[in-house]
Amino acid sequence: MIGAEFLKLRKRQMTTVLLFILIGIVVLVNFILLAISKAKLPTTGHAMGNIQNYLGLPVAIPFALMLISSFGSVLAIILTASSVGNEYNWKTLRTALISSESRFKFLVSKLVSLAILILVGMLIAIIVGFIMGFITTALGGYKFDLSFATGSYFWTQFLQFLRTFFVIIPFALLGFMMAIFGRSAMPGIATGIGVVFLESIITAFMSLAGGWIAKVPDYLLSANVSAITALNGLPKGFGGGGQNEVFPSVTHAYVILSVYAVAFLFLAFYLFKKRDVTG
Amino acid sequence: MTTNAASPISPGTLGDVVLRTIGLSKSFGKLEAVKNLNIELRRGEVFGFLGPNGAGKSTTVGMILGLITPTAGSIELFGVKQDGHHWAALRRIGAIIEEPSFYPYLSGRDNLQVLAKSIGDIPEKKITEVLDRVGLLDRAKDQYGHYSMGMKQRLGIASTLLRDPELIILDEPTNGLDPAGTKEIRDLIPSLAHESRAILLCSHLLHEVEMVCSHVAIVKRGSVIADAPIKELLSQGNVLQVKVNNFDKAMAILKNLTWIKSVKIEGDYLEVDLPPNRSAEVNQALVEKGIMVSELVNHTMSLESVFLQLTGGAAGD
Repeated sequence: MIGAEFLKLRKRQMTTVLLFILIGIVVLVNFILLAISKAKLPTTGHAMGNIQNYLGLPVAIPFALMLISSFGSVLAIILTASSVGNEYNWKTLRTALISSESRFKFLVSKLVSLAILILVGMLIAIIVGFIMGFITTALGGYKFDLSFATGSYFWTQFLQFLRTFFVIIPFALLGFMMAIFGRSAMPGIATGIGVVFLESIITAFMSLAGGWIAKVPDYLLSANVSAITALNGLPKGFGGGGQNEVFPSVTHAYVILSVYAVAFLFLAFYLFKKRDVTG
Repeated sequence: MTTNAASPISPGTLGDVVLRTIGLSKSFGKLEAVKNLNIELRRGEVFGFLGPNGAGKSTTVGMILGLITPTAGSIELFGVKQDGHHWAALRRIGAIIEEPSFYPYLSGRDNLQVLAKSIGDIPEKKITEVLDRVGLLDRAKDQYGHYSMGMKQRLGIASTLLRDPELIILDEPTNGLDPAGTKEIRDLIPSLAHESRAILLCSHLLHEVEMVCSHVAIVKRGSVIADAPIKELLSQGNVLQVKVNNFDKAMAILKNLTWIKSVKIEGDYLEVDLPPNRSAEVNQALVEKGIMVSELVNHTMSLESVFLQLTGGAAGD
């Protein structure tokens, strides 16, 4: 059954388009930062040299992972919500279900194949990010220094790769669950993307409110995602959170995000198993 | 299209029961979509499941396939009572529900491959074989989204054949087809039936059903209002038109015959509702009493007429 899901995802143009969008974002942001690093400030007449610290090889991978955790989450929402939602839109669900051992296995095979595809997409984006590190170093005329490339460095990046995948999961499952709830891809995509963008705005207002309301964001998604992505080693304010931003503890973040992921997963399976498939 | 034209299976060669519903009911809120449905389908049978739109046909199919949970009653497939998603039975069933639905961006062959991978243990050559069977082999690489309605229906039938089903469920298989496409599918259906296979054909197109089915059940507002071999059902509508020289006397004579269901005057004729093959006895009874019979015409009703009579004119769309 996983083979069937792979075939569906692999041959779908949207999968390739989403991958190219992710790669495009990584390439574009790197070039934009390179351009900014060369731009001279009108006030001082000097280039914004500090940005060069964040370009180039040592930070290429964590920087790519930071982009993946933000933009990649949005793309993962679109991928997962449309994977299950379009089964309703195209009315293929009935045919798919009567050809599947069980509804449970149908959803599991979908999730497994989606997870593998997301991991492959992340890996490709990281490779592109690493290549971009070489390119921006060369174009910027910066010094090639490969002394960072130790086993410990790659182990750290591997752990951050897993952490980035972990923070994408709740968003992807939210899109997946809402697509099942709404019996269409659109509710999944709209809710998922809505949460990604609106939550950070709402939590900012909550923080300003003070009192117990200021504590609420600690139990929502974005603050906990930031707590984990801040482990990427990038300097504060550059993908590692704002200069004065205080995140919940990493353990707290893992627990909260796990609770959300399990809740979304449980609801998705419950709704999918319980509801009649009609129309 | 490759068709293996097969003769309809005679009732004498029908096999064991492959599908039985016992008191099957389904309600959606206050709406009773299916009420106490009892049908039985045997191997070798092409079973017509008729009813106007909204009569509960697709809901019944959904329940048989485990897509819809019944409110009450039970379903037996291949002699085993089913509950929920019943894979062991589903593996032996091929079905098109309402309309064939496939992934528009995949080719016909890829769509079948997706199903084959889901079902498991279906070799590539089987995909080629079923595509050939429905005449789609030369268009197998084309995207499903570019198929005509007829091709989509044929791919749907190909998908039902992938698992060598013992029960095929076709829900409105000629929906949206032009006359040529309808004929193609109509020719294909009897060829799918053989001694070890049963076909449940849901339709509101009565002419199609009359041409291919051996047994018919008619549903109206979720309840079965007729369930009989098609010949028996049609014979119930036998009408004998009799032209006589004395209507009143003839009426009186015929009303005395207990096996005659009704007699009425329609224009220049007496219309006699009687069991099949008893026209000669009517003639004899009238002549013996001195009535001159100048015309005797037997009319067998079409399934459409029977359906309209039973459903009170709810012909479908």
